[in-house]
Amino acid sequence: MTRLRLVLCALAPALLLPPAAAAQINVGVTVSATGPAASLGIPTRNTVALLPTTIAGVKVNWLVLDDATDSTSAVKNARKLVSENKVDVLVGSNTVPNSLAMIDVAAETGTPMISLAAGARIIEPVDAKKRWVFKTPQNDQLMAAAVAGHMARKGVKTAAYIGFADAYGDGWWSEFSRAAEGRGIKVVASERYNRPDTSVTGQVLKILAARPDAVLVGAAGTPAVLPQKTLVERGYQGLVYHTHGVTNPDFLRVGGKDVEGAFLPAGPVVVAGQLPDSHPCKAAGLEFVRRYEAAHGAGTASSFGAHAWDAGLLLQAAIPVALKRAKPGTPEFRAALRDALEGVRDLRGTHGVFNPSPADHLGFDERARVMVQVKGGAWQLVP
Amino acid sequence: MSRRVAAAALAAALLAAPLLLDDYHLSLSCYIGMNALVAVGLVLLTGVSGLTSFGQAAFVGMGAYASAVWTTSPAVPAALGSWATSPWVALPVTLSLAALAALGLGAVTLRLAGHYLPLGTIAWGLSLYFLFGNLEALGGHTGLAGIPPVPVLGLALASPRAFHLLTWAVVLGAVLATRNLLDSRAGRAIRALKGGRLMAESMGVDTARMRAVVFLVAAMQAATAGWLYAHFQRFVNPTPFSLHAGIEFLFMGVVGGIGEVWGALAGAGLVTVAMQWLRDVLPRLVGQAGDFELVVFGIAMVAVLQRSPQGLWPLLARRVPPPPRRLDAGAPPLPRRAMPPRGEPLLEVRAVVKRFGGLTAVDGVSLSVRAGEIVGLVGPNGAGKSTLFDVLSGVADPDAGEVHLRGHAVQGRSQRAIAALGLCRTFQHAQLVTGMSAVENAALGAHRRGRRGVLAAAWRLDRAEEARLLGEAARQLFRVGLGADPWRPAGTLPLGQQRLLEVARALCADPCLLLLDEPAAGLRHLEKRALAELLGSLRREGMSVLLVEHDAEFVWGLADQVVVMDFGRIIAAGPPAEVRRDPRVVEAWLGAEG
Amino acid sequence: MSLDVALWLGQDGLVNGAIYALLALSLVLVFSVTRVIFVAQGEFVALGGLTLAALQAGRTPGTFWLLCAAHGAVALRDGAAALRAGSARGFGRSLLFHLGYPALLAPVLWLAPLRSAPAWVQIPLTLALVVPLGPATWRLAFEPIAGASVLTLLIVSVAVHLALVNLGLLSFGAEGVRTRPLSEARLSLGSVAVPAQAAWVVLFSAGLMAALWFLSRRTLAGKALRAAAMNRVGARLSGIPVALAGRWSFALAALVGAASGVLISPITTLYYDTGFLIGLKGFVGAVIGGLASYPAAAAGALLVGLFEAGASFWASAWKEIIVFGLVVPVLLWRSVAARHVVEED
Repeated sequence: MTRLRLVLCALAPALLLPPAAAAQINVGVTVSATGPAASLGIPTRNTVALLPTTIAGVKVNWLVLDDATDSTSAVKNARKLVSENKVDVLVGSNTVPNSLAMIDVAAETGTPMISLAAGARIIEPVDAKKRWVFKTPQNDQLMAAAVAGHMARKGVKTAAYIGFADAYGDGWWSEFSRAAEGRGIKVVASERYNRPDTSVTGQVLKILAARPDAVLVGAAGTPAVLPQKTLVERGYQGLVYHTHGVTNPDFLRVGGKDVEGAFLPAGPVVVAGQLPDSHPCKAAGLEFVRRYEAAHGAGTASSFGAHAWDAGLLLQAAIPVALKRAKPGTPEFRAALRDALEGVRDLRGTHGVFNPSPADHLGFDERARVMVQVKGGAWQLVP
Repeated sequence: MSRRVAAAALAAALLAAPLLLDDYHLSLSCYIGMNALVAVGLVLLTGVSGLTSFGQAAFVGMGAYASAVWTTSPAVPAALGSWATSPWVALPVTLSLAALAALGLGAVTLRLAGHYLPLGTIAWGLSLYFLFGNLEALGGHTGLAGIPPVPVLGLALASPRAFHLLTWAVVLGAVLATRNLLDSRAGRAIRALKGGRLMAESMGVDTARMRAVVFLVAAMQAATAGWLYAHFQRFVNPTPFSLHAGIEFLFMGVVGGIGEVWGALAGAGLVTVAMQWLRDVLPRLVGQAGDFELVVFGIAMVAVLQRSPQGLWPLLARRVPPPPRRLDAGAPPLPRRAMPPRGEPLLEVRAVVKRFGGLTAVDGVSLSVRAGEIVGLVGPNGAGKSTLFDVLSGVADPDAGEVHLRGHAVQGRSQRAIAALGLCRTFQHAQLVTGMSAVENAALGAHRRGRRGVLAAAWRLDRAEEARLLGEAARQLFRVGLGADPWRPAGTLPLGQQRLLEVARALCADPCLLLLDEPAAGLRHLEKRALAELLGSLRREGMSVLLVEHDAEFVWGLADQVVVMDFGRIIAAGPPAEVRRDPRVVEAWLGAEG
Repeated sequence: MSLDVALWLGQDGLVNGAIYALLALSLVLVFSVTRVIFVAQGEFVALGGLTLAALQAGRTPGTFWLLCAAHGAVALRDGAAALRAGSARGFGRSLLFHLGYPALLAPVLWLAPLRSAPAWVQIPLTLALVVPLGPATWRLAFEPIAGASVLTLLIVSVAVHLALVNLGLLSFGAEGVRTRPLSEARLSLGSVAVPAQAAWVVLFSAGLMAALWFLSRRTLAGKALRAAAMNRVGARLSGIPVALAGRWSFALAALVGAASGVLISPITTLYYDTGFLIGLKGFVGAVIGGLASYPAAAAGALLVGLFEAGASFWASAWKEIIVFGLVVPVLLWRSVAARHVVEED
């Protein structure tokens, strides 16, 4: 019996954790720090560690959990954060399915939630459930429109798409095909590949056979290199576009000269240093990059971390307002925080200017994206 | 602590949980329940029947998606009214869909041999997972949202508190039904599937059908878990149904103890709680810098399995001994077959030939057995006796020749068809379900004398018949001298007694022709004498026996006729007194033994 | 489809198939000797590539710390066994090897200018770092329960896979790597200009496979391995140390995995979790070959590679469905061909 008792004793703390004390604000964060979206989750977690621990004089606890890029775990984490840690707001997760899965928990318990995933479906349409949900990354639609617009200006008549066989690739395909149609660009091929695939030769051959003027790679992080590398290897001469999902330093490291010349839409933070001083996002972007790189080394800041930074900015703007209406740890405070998030005006984030409204829980405009080109192994702002 | 008390404590804990635990721990408990439900199916499929499946997650996904589509899709006709969005209407739809899919996939999968079978499950498991992501109607890779909660008595079970009871009612229902099933006529047949298909077939079990049934049951349990998942999560996307999830279910089963139904619960509980607990504790110990959970989890599971390769359950079961079992002595005996009139030709073998490649194992053998006669088949090792048995019982098809049993030509017929005509056999190497008790092994022989199937067994509608079957088994055990400890696991019996158990099992079939393959090997002198007496009394009852035996004295004293084989041919046949004087016999066989 | 496209696809399928074939072979080897279906085989591919990339980037690869930890654990276990047995025989040697080996590597890693070193220095060093993890895995995870059922061993190997993948994530991060190719040259075959590295992959794989085959047929060690595979008790009776056979087969598996990783890292991007899918396809190939014969496993793996290349051209979104869907009829055909009733164990 002793061994069994030992096991039970070891498990007991997990079952009988004391509830967190009040008079401080608890922020529950779930990130995809392992699994397929780990490259998004890790910088997110690193960024959360840099966020302020007091806001408006009240102590803020950032509780971070990993969901392993699994929607079930994301919901488990959300439940745990809400019921055990009594969090006042949820932040996360990094992928669209995980965020969608968490909405029910947020709505059911009346907890505001700030998603770090791009899909517009997370916040649209704002209904009884989604009135609790906000997000910081640009909608794919905004970015896809930028890509299609840039293509049109470059005289592209036909385009091809190759993207992840997952929610990211799906989301970009539907937005890009719509945006391209709007610009009169014919999409002549649509191919998919898996993130860890070691070869995309088949897909690229199919694309080359369709002879597109431009190819859009709907992938995130270093896996986006392989299609372009294969295109270059097969002597493709047209334009290659990427999505804002590639904006981390590793993409440039792995891509090397193969990704030279690629265009992509991105949040202003990616080229914060090159922005004109008048750009509203310049200050926040530079601040984020400085703080992140001070902690993790030069050249490590990525736009994924910046989304979490923006979530931090939103909370820093909304919490003081909510504190005037109720005390943290109460349903009233959570409701007040929700209202305050919806009422944020002209908040200059790293990725854009937040102007949420009851009909739009993001509230970005054109200032939330710039076109960038890879030049000399670095991101270069396209004027 | 007895097992009954333990089960009552578990049930009480589950009932009380909504009062004691917070939402998070209740939701964890719900996930444990859903995982356990899938793992229970795997216990049946993999642990008991020996069919390793990595694809159960695909059935969970099918259940989840079917219900999600039914309750959210505008494609479901609006004329159905509130039915179109009701999870309770979706449940039978889901289950029928899963059943159809299981029948289709099972038809292919169960044809696969050896290692091809698990790989087959990987193949369709992966394919279905990618299919979920590729179908626009299922929300693609992003998923389907807005699934309604399950309503009970007008109350929507939205919170984990409410859902907890529903989940565990379903899980415990499934656990009990599965346990009931395994403790029944059909269950014994299922337990013989792993390693004993040949034997089971000769007892009249349709093993192909039983395998399909098991596959179907496991799939339906997985789909039910999927239904629960969809309405608890209220969002579905493909990732929870990936191959990794399929592996994880198997993982839970094996860690918990895949041989026992409760092992599934233990495994699902341990794996789910351990993972969540590590996620909780490790960051506090080593900081937020890295993700050590899965590393520690993997190492911990290796340690668990090194401690107990059979999984957790055997460790727990040792502390909670099962209650002693009793047999119902008052059950009326089973009806018996009318024996053919004494002297009637029962078995006619004409010029049977069986070749294996270049080797002719049986070469033109003819012999006959009359009703109420004991015929001894003797000859040195490799003379072809066991091969002849295989041909007679339908295990092997003869290359030429005819076999007539009670006037029916049976060469090339299935083992089951031959068993139906009243032939039952034992095997040279005892073919017992080693983990099953002696009396249940014996009752397997009476399989053809019962009717009740899987559903009746699951809901305990088979008890009257079951008592009669077990009563018959106990009687035959007693008859062969194994009546002392009917619940002893067959694998723990000494080899000689295992052979006697084979005889008892064959007697349970109430045959008119008994084929015994070296029943006396490994028996002590007194036991042999008892066996000879038993065979003699069977003969008096009108039963016929064809007996392969090495012990010459045993045969001479008992048989009415003796057939001597050597190198696949019959070299002598007739009454024992004549045959033992035959010079060829002396040379070929007796000479060797002096 | 033009001839051009067919050639390209054939080339692509061949290169991928060659890697799958290598993994299929070592899966067959490990399974036949130890009855372990080594799910973590693919992790060695990732570790090989990631370690080489770290060396080329001038970083100390996390594999070194992994090696230290694994060897430390093995030494501890040997120490505990020596304590229990009450005799230190053999423990001294174990200690010397398990602690001395990393100690020997450490100065090379820290002092030598590895970043700029030529490939013939970096690659052997990579193998020296990764390969010992194979036998260590065997010692730590499998040896204590070598007699358990195939299913239990499989589940242990899944647990090892989980631990190794996430150790890879911890040591190398989530982003991918690519290494410098051995040669930038391109060979032109007709209208198709094949990168020399692709030719290297195929040649090396073929060479390694031939070597494996030769080892198993012609050398004493290989014969002993095969004997251990066929009959454990018999092998032990005739004086073949079965425990050693386990270690050697895992060392070979690690070598094959790491070498595959080194070979393909210049032509694709490798991630900490790349290994699983590659390993799975190798496994599919091995099973198609019946998990017993080397040439059949290699042929099965090539078939998978070609299937995949074709499917990614015709219907990339449905690629995995097609590849794994096509596997089912092949399995059916193999099952019918196997004929006799195989009882699952």
